[in-house]
Amino acid sequence: MDGTLIGLVAFAAVIGLLAIRVPIAFALAGVATVGTFVIFAFRTGVFMPDRAIRPTSSLVFSNSFDLIHSYDLSMIPLFVALGHIAYRAEITTKIYHAARVWLAHVPGGVAMASVVGCGGFSAITGSSIACASTMGRICSPEMLRMGYDKRLATASVAAGGTLGSLIPPSVLFIIYGIFTETSISKLFLAGILPGLLSLAGFLLVIWFWVWRDPAAAPKYAETITFGDKWRAGLAAWPAAALFVIIVGGIYGGFFTATEAAAICVSAAVLIGFAQRKLSFRDIVEALRETCIQTTSIFLIAAGAKIFVAFIALTGVAPSIVQVVTDAQLSVVLLMLAIAAIYLLLGMFLDPIGIMVLTLPLMVPLVEGYGLDLIWFGVVVIKLLEIGLITPPVGLNVFVIAGVVGKDVPIDRIFSGILRFLTVDVLVLILIMAFPILSLLIPGSM
Amino acid sequence: MLRRIEMLLLDLAVFAVAALGLLITASVVLRVTVNSGVPDTIVMVRELMVAAIVLPLAVTTAQRAHIVVEFLSNRLPRRGQEALIVFGSVFGLLALAPLIWAGWREATHALTSGGFFFGDLQLPKWPGRILFLLGISMCWLRLLVMVVTDLRDLRAGRPLAETAYLRGEG
Amino acid sequence: QTLFVGEAGPNRGARADALQWFADTATEMADGLTLDIQWGGALFKAGAALNGIADGVADMGTIIAVYFPQEMVAYGIADLPLQNPDAWVGMKATDALMRSSEAIQQNLASMNLVYLGTFTTSAVHIGCKGTAIRTVEDIEGLKVRGVGAYGDTFRDFGANMVSMSIYDAYQGLDTGLLDCSQGYSYATAALKQQEVIDSYTLLNWGQVGALGVFANKQSFDALDPATQEALMTAGEGMADELGRLITADNERAVETMREAGVEIIELPEDERMKLVEKGAGYIDEWTERAASAGLDGEALLEEYRALIEKYTAERDEQGYPWERG
Ligand code: NA
Ligand code: NA
Repeated sequence: MDGTLIGLVAFAAVIGLLAIRVPIAFALAGVATVGTFVIFAFRTGVFMPDRAIRPTSSLVFSNSFDLIHSYDLSMIPLFVALGHIAYRAEITTKIYHAARVWLAHVPGGVAMASVVGCGGFSAITGSSIACASTMGRICSPEMLRMGYDKRLATASVAAGGTLGSLIPPSVLFIIYGIFTETSISKLFLAGILPGLLSLAGFLLVIWFWVWRDPAAAPKYAETITFGDKWRAGLAAWPAAALFVIIVGGIYGGFFTATEAAAICVSAAVLIGFAQRKLSFRDIVEALRETCIQTTSIFLIAAGAKIFVAFIALTGVAPSIVQVVTDAQLSVVLLMLAIAAIYLLLGMFLDPIGIMVLTLPLMVPLVEGYGLDLIWFGVVVIKLLEIGLITPPVGLNVFVIAGVVGKDVPIDRIFSGILRFLTVDVLVLILIMAFPILSLLIPGSM
Repeated sequence: MLRRIEMLLLDLAVFAVAALGLLITASVVLRVTVNSGVPDTIVMVRELMVAAIVLPLAVTTAQRAHIVVEFLSNRLPRRGQEALIVFGSVFGLLALAPLIWAGWREATHALTSGGFFFGDLQLPKWPGRILFLLGISMCWLRLLVMVVTDLRDLRAGRPLAETAYLRGEG
Repeated sequence: QTLFVGEAGPNRGARADALQWFADTATEMADGLTLDIQWGGALFKAGAALNGIADGVADMGTIIAVYFPQEMVAYGIADLPLQNPDAWVGMKATDALMRSSEAIQQNLASMNLVYLGTFTTSAVHIGCKGTAIRTVEDIEGLKVRGVGAYGDTFRDFGANMVSMSIYDAYQGLDTGLLDCSQGYSYATAALKQQEVIDSYTLLNWGQVGALGVFANKQSFDALDPATQEALMTAGEGMADELGRLITADNERAVETMREAGVEIIELPEDERMKLVEKGAGYIDEWTERAASAGLDGEALLEEYRALIEKYTAERDEQGYPWERG
């Protein structure tokens, strides 16, 4: 049986199952398991199911287990825990109160502050999912409480989270650098301007959204004196302290980004205890919520990982790249085709999986056209970031959905995302059309 | 009974998150202050991650907290929606079954082969694999119980319980 | 027919080139054979490679022994801090040992594996920022990212070992989280560490050589003898091919570092002997582990050391194979 056909059937099956409300993790894992079994059973050309059991079992186990059995990803439960603990210690409420008071005259100011916060946080974590996990727990519930439109309160953070990989440091750039033998430090520098451009684009979306529909971001009703601002600012000191600890710790050479997550949780607990805002019970409750929230995200990520391994077996990715190669397109058409491929794969697969599947074939093709690999890296990462918020499988959206629970259904978040996606596509076109945006900073160093 | 076990597993996961956070904090503090560290931190954090992520699966399942796409199913009448919820659980039973079998193979293999991680403490590979098997199996068991209860409710024309814990049973 | 090859690394760099060479050579020699290499751990990560290959997820692929200290104990001999710094000599010795030893073959067969050929990451050296290692006394108190038993030995000399991946080492050195990072010359330069280090000490001590290509035994046994022969021959040739690539890469890398203003230090012979002596404890530890797996570690070591000597002599007399007329 033709692998490419099996792959395409599998994509269709996933869409079908998601449409009839099968949990995303089960749909991905189930389809991938069956597909893997079919491929291994037909290895010899004849259907031999008994020969497929061992490899299928090995593949589903190792891919799901290895995803969870990860030191680097410990950052995610820890940063989620930070969000929950900071919330219970009233650290997040105070920083939100400060933002609200200081930005009272800016329509949608709190949503903008959240997105800027995502930008700042992405300079720390290096991972979009970690960024969305933490900021989602901190920002979305606060905005919902302030009466923000549910779509705005969730979509802004899901989109803001995608800055995590464009603004350095970034795990995706490291992996891209390894696959292309390009300088990781140059890639980091190349991501800065496009990252800031995306950030500006998101702010523009919020501004436009609230301008069209002022009810989406209720104004702060009370009159604010300078004293109010002063007090609100001062009360937000724990959040500022946490930020200083993270940034100072990482850039001062005291700990790595992964370690920063643990240090921050410990610091938040200490601040909470010192302020008598946190009890032992609070911590246990915060960690229980953390566990329930992270487990569903990881289950989806594990399903996606099995799916990637299955897709690797099908050979779908090389077939697609081969079609593009054979077409001998002009540079513009080539870039459009590549964008289409990454957006298509981004609908289903996770960024790292897509890179592993496509880069070995895509990079020689791009090199053959004489294109700059640093610039191409920025384009690829931006495309992968977009994939994190496109339906049906948008990991960042799921992260936010996990935070807000049943209050905001996923399709509401996706419908809010649409507006951010429009700007993302514009930013993408700018990055593709003007390589100087990516190459200016690394070129001047 | 099942609920008590699941809550215990959740609390074990809570303990695992706390432990890995403390472990990393301790290794940083020791490094910064006395230029020392905790041996095999990375291996221990990895093993704890399995506990932290997999053990709460049953509770997540019981609370119907798995992430789903609802916008099409929401247009169906209530009965249709509920039928899809049950179908999703049945699909989950089928999707997880191979993973349990694979987990069983790996856990027994790790136990009998004596495999261990490279490092100072030469920590064995089996604990993480046993935890993985335990977490997925408990999730499967909970799904099974929910399918049975939900089918009963569906037949009787009762609305499905919002979470498995709202019923006295299980 | 098409066989799947699982490789946890990217399709760039000397090791990838050697694996590609292996695939090209084997498919050229065997009619109708296609090797479909899955890069970047698309099928399984390095930590799952042994089971992945043994269970037939891929028909063959790269296994890195350090992830399987129990199962791959025999192969682990190539990771030991012996006096074994030459990439080509190390690979030839390892390859000869893996091919000739009946005990190792049986040990692998019991795990449903067949040995095909070996790689190496080449000699372990160390780059430092704001400090330099000229004697073993300099190691005391440094924050070091280490590699296997080489890192353990540094700990015994008083270094504080910091766990991080080689890819994070750049930032670690830059911020001062690390004083020094052990690594391989070509990787140090490829990761631009010359931008952040001030000195690079050539330890000339040993290498990490226990990584190579293994096949699923069932898949391998099902092949016709000509194809089996093609895979075996191509596997044996990898040592020469990777030796050529990596030796050139390493020389170029050291030159790049020198040009970037990094001080290149050769560790004096008597200082190097202190490292070798201290590392001996980890060799004894390995021997015990080999014994518990039913292998005669002492005998293997003796054989391995003799092979290292043999190929060192061959290199000294005739030069590397790619340099011979
Ligand atoms: Na980042
Ligand atoms: Na997507």
